Amino acid sequence: MKLYRSLIYRELKLTRKRCILMLILFLLLSLLMLTPIMLGGFSEPGEESPAEMVLLFVGMVSLTGGFMAGTNNGLQKADINSGWKRYSFVLPPTAKQQAISDLFVKLCYILFFGLLSGTFTLIYTIAADFNAFGIMLNIYLGAVCAVMLIDIAYSYIVMFANDKNQFKVIGVIAFFGAGFVLRVFGLFPGMNKTEKPTEDGALLSEEQLNRLMSVLTSHQTTLCILAVFVVLCVLFFLIMWRSRERREP
Amino acid sequence: MNDYENAIEIKGVTKKYDGFTLDNISFDIPKGCIMGFIGQNGAGKTTTIRSLLHITDIDSGEIRLLGLDHIKDETAIKKRIAVVFDELPFHDVFNAKDMAKIFEGMYPEWDNDAYMKYIERFQLPQKKKIGQFSKGMKMKLQIACALSHNAELLVMDEATTGLDPVVRDEILHIFMEYLQNGERSILMSSHITSDLEKIADMVTFIDKGKILLTGYKDEIIEQHGILKCGKDKLKEIDNEDIVSIRTNDFGAEVMVTNRENVSYKYREYVIDPASLDDIMLYYVHRDMKEWS
Repeated sequence: MKLYRSLIYRELKLTRKRCILMLILFLLLSLLMLTPIMLGGFSEPGEESPAEMVLLFVGMVSLTGGFMAGTNNGLQKADINSGWKRYSFVLPPTAKQQAISDLFVKLCYILFFGLLSGTFTLIYTIAADFNAFGIMLNIYLGAVCAVMLIDIAYSYIVMFANDKNQFKVIGVIAFFGAGFVLRVFGLFPGMNKTEKPTEDGALLSEEQLNRLMSVLTSHQTTLCILAVFVVLCVLFFLIMWRSRERREP
Repeated sequence: MNDYENAIEIKGVTKKYDGFTLDNISFDIPKGCIMGFIGQNGAGKTTTIRSLLHITDIDSGEIRLLGLDHIKDETAIKKRIAVVFDELPFHDVFNAKDMAKIFEGMYPEWDNDAYMKYIERFQLPQKKKIGQFSKGMKMKLQIACALSHNAELLVMDEATTGLDPVVRDEILHIFMEYLQNGERSILMSSHITSDLEKIADMVTFIDKGKILLTGYKDEIIEQHGILKCGKDKLKEIDNEDIVSIRTNDFGAEVMVTNRENVSYKYREYVIDPASLDDIMLYYVHRDMKEWS
């Protein structure tokens, strides 16, 4: 237990600055959206109904929170640049123990931003007398999963860098690689077409919106996203384990 | 737990890279010894150290640390060894106190009092960020961390390079103190042979991935000498006694092995004692035989 305390202390302390920055951005956005609710902006005739506005706010807060929680915390980069990655090979913690601590820190941030998103959702919905907690959970976990998937791919690539210079080279290759992949995707039929707006100029028609809402409020969606989340956590752990275990050539 | 004869045993280790091969190297470090590991840049010192610490995999051979296999018993070994690199591998945002918190959970025998004593002795600030430390302070911090968990084996890769003579002397003095109970051993790679002459019991000399010399420092120094003679007299000296010859305008300086025998053999010549620096220099040029 003492070992994990040390490992987690190190990782949290290293990622603290980034977390504080994200927290400030998140709070700014959330508080900005709280302003119309506090000022009673829904009561004017001709304005959007409170439920629609609250849904929009919940969606934005959940997406932002999920993005911040799932994104890469910069730990691998910091370890490579400082030389700690090489040094960690001569320290007693095993690759598995270090990977568990990596996953734990990731889950800490997911829980932290999840609680924050949940709190703001509660505040918005209480003001509008409307329950959107299920929607928030689905959007939040969905965003976490999407960003985590990118993080896993990034962590896999970064695994091959042993020092600062290699990290730079791999970073450049990955950047152009990602650009190439997006370009190739753009060549497939249907992938390069811009969305056609609906007749009244809205991005989604009422029918599409209803369908989306039914998906977002469904318990089956929650279960599916949770299952994907668990799989991604396992995948993240395995990648980190391999990364910590991999010796220099 | 301490039942081993050699702190490090390296047998026939080979590691191949593009353009460089660590070629079938073997040497031992008996328990309680300081081994100086010398060689020019690119000779294979760091590769050897990385191989024995399992930072990199070896192609063939066997490495035992503290009597244990360096891969199978890796976790057990790591709790009992300490490593000091030429550059501080700690993050700039931490301070000395943070490092204690990080290491106390990792090492079962971490001694916080000993660590704080080293911090005070080295006059290191406890709350200042490591990023603001000088090179000397960084090295001292790394050494303080390495010496605070009762490690039986200390491995140092160019740890004193780049430090001023006062700091180097202070650090060497601490290593001598650390070894006093005879249960601890040190492997120290360095370019600065004067440091090794001060503290090393044994010396291993590596060049182009091959071990050229290994043994007790005093014996190696006693065995070698520099014979001074005129260039025209060089043909009188047997090739088997010569490591290499340095020529200049005034004559020749010949590095000879088996100094005692050679001094009987060539009574008319002066044979000066050789330093580790001289030995390294003449061995590096052994293929050319004659150089200036």
